[in-house]
Amino acid sequence: MSAAIELIDVRKSFGATEIIRGVDLKIEKGERHAVIGPNGAGKSTLFNLITGKYSLSGGRIELDGNDLKGLQPFEINRLGLSRSFQVTNIFPRMTVFENVRCGVLWAMGYKYSFWHNVDKLTDVNERTQQVLEEIGMVERSQIPAGVLTYAEQRALEIGITIAGGAEIIILDEPTAGMSHSETDQAVDLIRQVTVGKTLVMVEHDMGVVFGLADKISVLVYGEIIASGAPEEIRGNAAVREAYLGEEAA
Amino acid sequence: MSNVASAMSTSANGSIVRRNAVWLIAILVVIGLPFIFSGGVAIAVLNQMGIAIIFTLAYNMMLGQGGMLSFGHAVYFGLGGYFAIHFLNIMSSGSFVLPLIFVPIAGAVAGLAFGMLFGSFSTNRAGTVFAMISLGIGEMIASSSLIFTKFSGGEEGITADRTEAMPLFGLNFAQEIQVYYMIGGWMILATWLMYRFSRTPVGRLANAVRDNPERAEFVGYSQKHVRFMSFAISGMFAGVAGALFAVNYEIVTEETVNALTSGVVLLQAYIGGIGLFFGPIVGAVVFTLLQTLLSNYTEIWALYVGIVFVATVMYAPFGLSGLIAMHVPVLQAGRLGSLLMPYVKIGVPAVVCGLGLIGLMELFHFTGDRAVGESEKELFGYVFNVDTATPWVLFGVLMVGGFILAKRMGPAVFEIWQEATNFDNSGDNK
Repeated sequence: MSAAIELIDVRKSFGATEIIRGVDLKIEKGERHAVIGPNGAGKSTLFNLITGKYSLSGGRIELDGNDLKGLQPFEINRLGLSRSFQVTNIFPRMTVFENVRCGVLWAMGYKYSFWHNVDKLTDVNERTQQVLEEIGMVERSQIPAGVLTYAEQRALEIGITIAGGAEIIILDEPTAGMSHSETDQAVDLIRQVTVGKTLVMVEHDMGVVFGLADKISVLVYGEIIASGAPEEIRGNAAVREAYLGEEAA
Repeated sequence: MSNVASAMSTSANGSIVRRNAVWLIAILVVIGLPFIFSGGVAIAVLNQMGIAIIFTLAYNMMLGQGGMLSFGHAVYFGLGGYFAIHFLNIMSSGSFVLPLIFVPIAGAVAGLAFGMLFGSFSTNRAGTVFAMISLGIGEMIASSSLIFTKFSGGEEGITADRTEAMPLFGLNFAQEIQVYYMIGGWMILATWLMYRFSRTPVGRLANAVRDNPERAEFVGYSQKHVRFMSFAISGMFAGVAGALFAVNYEIVTEETVNALTSGVVLLQAYIGGIGLFFGPIVGAVVFTLLQTLLSNYTEIWALYVGIVFVATVMYAPFGLSGLIAMHVPVLQAGRLGSLLMPYVKIGVPAVVCGLGLIGLMELFHFTGDRAVGESEKELFGYVFNVDTATPWVLFGVLMVGGFILAKRMGPAVFEIWQEATNFDNSGDNK
């Protein structure tokens, strides 16, 4: 059985600057994997490579054994990978309900239909309702997403991300900018909605990382310097020096 | 802004009965209007209105629903018109014959075909790039219509005789009123289909791509393909409108594809409001009235339309329909009465300011346009001598005074408005 995601000698340059300098990473199915590292290490770039937003300068990325070379984001999404963004990325002028429904439609096979009436698609609307319940936003469902609070928008974004039932969920700093209590709620939500799925996340909050992840990889200046279970990473001298030490100081 | 948005969402979620009631009322209105406005001029205005409604709704599938600002949508309207009129002429030549009411299908096919052709490369990006390409295609087709005169008839255009089509139940559409009902029927059908489209998966994703193309890609949709579909279908309905134009006027000229027509449809959509599905209908009705009725009273009607447009963009960015939608929650809460007096207080000086402005512009226009020795201009039922200072001072005072008063009333009215729309901490809106 192939890994959920496999990166083989992945490289990315912007102009003459190489941001990702040969990353090898294997993420098994069902794993909750966190990528940590100091600012500018290339974490978001790595995510944007996996999800097809940027094209590779070298190496290859496989999803479930499929080479992602040359695929557009929407094609990668159709292979069962869904992501959230570091900056809140929702449909602000549409209602919360419609936001989630947009995440459901393709996966339920309605694709580019221009004849079905969305209000009568019982399966789609039931699935949407179910996602709204999971993220705790049933009562807010008819409000335009743009007027939600920040924490609600982040929760909604997780809702859109999981709505299509993707097997691989990628979250880019899901708790950035949240208060402590909001962060705790977000962690519970993420844990709950990713049961049985593969989760890859970038996160700065070490409490979140050590609370959620089964496995952690440390990215420093475009290279993975360590990868392993949380306790291994905590004990790793190179990691402490490069990253955790800074945080503690 | 939140009020408009919530009004939008409630209008999309009414019960089935209520939603069908709207269509029923629309049908009754279309049937009944000629009994109220029965004159020949009135029917001509109504026909123009029906065509404008279809065209503007089609345009707003792109601008309001899909986030694409086109400066060249007359292309699909005009080409739909040209193909429809050639179709009519082929029928007249006796090759085959169909009832007139099927002619718009020729326009729809042409609009769809050209929408697919030009949409295939212009929908890669939204924003400025899209707008520039639409402008380029618009200019290209407008100039082609003067170059390929075999097809377009050059400046004289192509004419046809709609009565040559197959009679339908004995009707040959020689009378305007018969054409009116044909346009009315097509208008309701096209409006219903366009509304239905907005409620399909692609229609919803058109909104999603408008709001956030990147996110749409990460839920499985190609932003380009979603835009392409909106574009092509919008072209199809613009073609229907163009075909009805051909049937109504029995002539199609270069004017139907040129930049002016493209500009007018943008103005209509914006004045009506692009945020609501039905907004463009309001815009098309108001604009047609301004264009046809105002032009009876003044030569500079286009200037007034321009002022209405600028005022709308500045003070009512959601258009006239947005203004109406803003008041729906206030009405439901029973607070409309509290707004009446403030509106009178700001409305009267605003109207006075407008009268002053109109007076000055009419006088100024007259001074450049009059015959030698003529110095008397009739305005608002009074005769003014433009060579004396009196009318200039009078209108100047009205304009400036009205403006200052209206401006002074502004903050107070806004405060009352905010109070009337504040539903958060009050107990009386359960």
